[in-house]
Amino acid sequence: MSEEKKQSTATTDMKKLRQERKEYISGARDKMKGQNKIIKALKEALSGDPKTIPELAEIMGMKTDTVLMYVSTLKRYGIIGEGPKDGDYFKYELTK
Amino acid sequence: MKAKRDLQFDAIVIGGGIAGLQSALDLGDQGYTVAVVDKDATIGGKMIRLSKVFPTLDCASCITTPKMSSAAHHENITLFTYCTLNNLDRQTPDKVVAQLIQEARYVDPEKCIGCRKCEYGCPVYVEDDEQGGFNMRKAIYIPFSNAIPQIPLLDVENCSLCGKCAKVCPTDAIRYDMKPEEFSITAKTAVLATGFELSSMEQKPQYGLDRLQNVVSSMQMERLLAPHGPYNRVLRPSDGKEPDSIAYVQCAGSRDESLGIPYCSRVCCMYAIKQAMLLSGALPLADITIYYMDIRAFGKGYEQFYQNAKAMGIEFVKAKVAKITQGENQTAKLRYEDQEGNGGVMEREHDLVILSLGIVPQWDPEGICSVGCGQDGFIKSIMPKIAPTVTNIDGVYTAGVAAGPKDIVDTITEAGAAAMEASNYMKSLA
Repeated sequence: MSEEKKQSTATTDMKKLRQERKEYISGARDKMKGQNKIIKALKEALSGDPKTIPELAEIMGMKTDTVLMYVSTLKRYGIIGEGPKDGDYFKYELTK
Repeated sequence: MKAKRDLQFDAIVIGGGIAGLQSALDLGDQGYTVAVVDKDATIGGKMIRLSKVFPTLDCASCITTPKMSSAAHHENITLFTYCTLNNLDRQTPDKVVAQLIQEARYVDPEKCIGCRKCEYGCPVYVEDDEQGGFNMRKAIYIPFSNAIPQIPLLDVENCSLCGKCAKVCPTDAIRYDMKPEEFSITAKTAVLATGFELSSMEQKPQYGLDRLQNVVSSMQMERLLAPHGPYNRVLRPSDGKEPDSIAYVQCAGSRDESLGIPYCSRVCCMYAIKQAMLLSGALPLADITIYYMDIRAFGKGYEQFYQNAKAMGIEFVKAKVAKITQGENQTAKLRYEDQEGNGGVMEREHDLVILSLGIVPQWDPEGICSVGCGQDGFIKSIMPKIAPTVTNIDGVYTAGVAAGPKDIVDTITEAGAAAMEASNYMKSLA
């Protein structure tokens, strides 16, 4: 099969897959949009000094458990690091 | 991909947890060819997901990973992960046939080099059950860092088909259109090592039906205690506070007729004591309390382990917790009858509460395999005293928690016994 024909078959196959999985795709896109907003807000909140989870939750106007979920996720992927301890809470900071 | 329609082995082991791996290694070392089938995308079972083990406090990963690795590199053992078992039964004295489906990972295992570039490139985050639901993974992911095989799988239901993973993959291994593939394995003998799962957090209304903040299951606590856990330290999941006061509720899913689990799950006392000891190391200033009905420290060195925990200052309160409700400042409030003190109904609040849930079978053979089960749902041994691994099907054996709740030591011993029975059966055919 020529390169051009291969490319066109692949595009058709992807179109078909997108049609088959359209509900999953739309759900994933919605999820991603919501997540990106929270991650952006979290990065902004951490742009200054390191902060604890309750401090971040207050700035972001979100529940503490959701903020912790995002902080620990971004920590897992190396975007956030653990800073000094403040009372019973740890502070978190951006690594890059 | 290699075609794998009808494969032949001497033995098939269902379940790649510590029981299945031990049986496979013992049979493989004797020269028999073995197929290990696991429903998960990695072998290792429950043990690889634990923090440490009792009573030695060995790191679970450190002692399970070498077994996983030995099985993966063994010349006589072949691993089949992410497979669904549709049927397994004996057809003739020398033929047991398993009908299986290789579920689609959407990644070509022959091409993937396990570099995880796809995972880092993926833009969608999904709650990670492997980390107790406390943080998120990506939509394409390797289950955990020491998973075997190191091949990612794509969670189609959370994939936006954006194509980033395929774009960053250096070996062109992503296959968005991969389909599940049926295949069969024919062997002379089989070992069923299908393991367990914990009873549900949502089964007991009195304990909040999994809706209370900071009430977690014992497996979630294993993740919080693991060095590579969701927070890399023990924190209260509601707000990241380092807990000052932690409580264990024993028999939260066992010895309870109302839940349909009247039996003792055998290991909950010991794992709660183990976790309490690890917590007192990680959080030396925290108060740790275990609310128990009876302490069953049955194994070698276990009573001493229990006495050591008491000497370390862990508080043991003889009480069956009647109710858990939300307390103030995100605490969980326990209501119980004080059986050994001054008596009466007491209430105490804790930052973090762990439910020591019961052990129930992972696999229901109904409609898949004619192996007999007891009333408790675990695989039944027809000679429970003298040959506990022998089932009602000739040449089909069981090992580990598939046959009933037991600890890791007994599981490994039983897995060795199942391998020996299987080996004798194959010799008898010759």
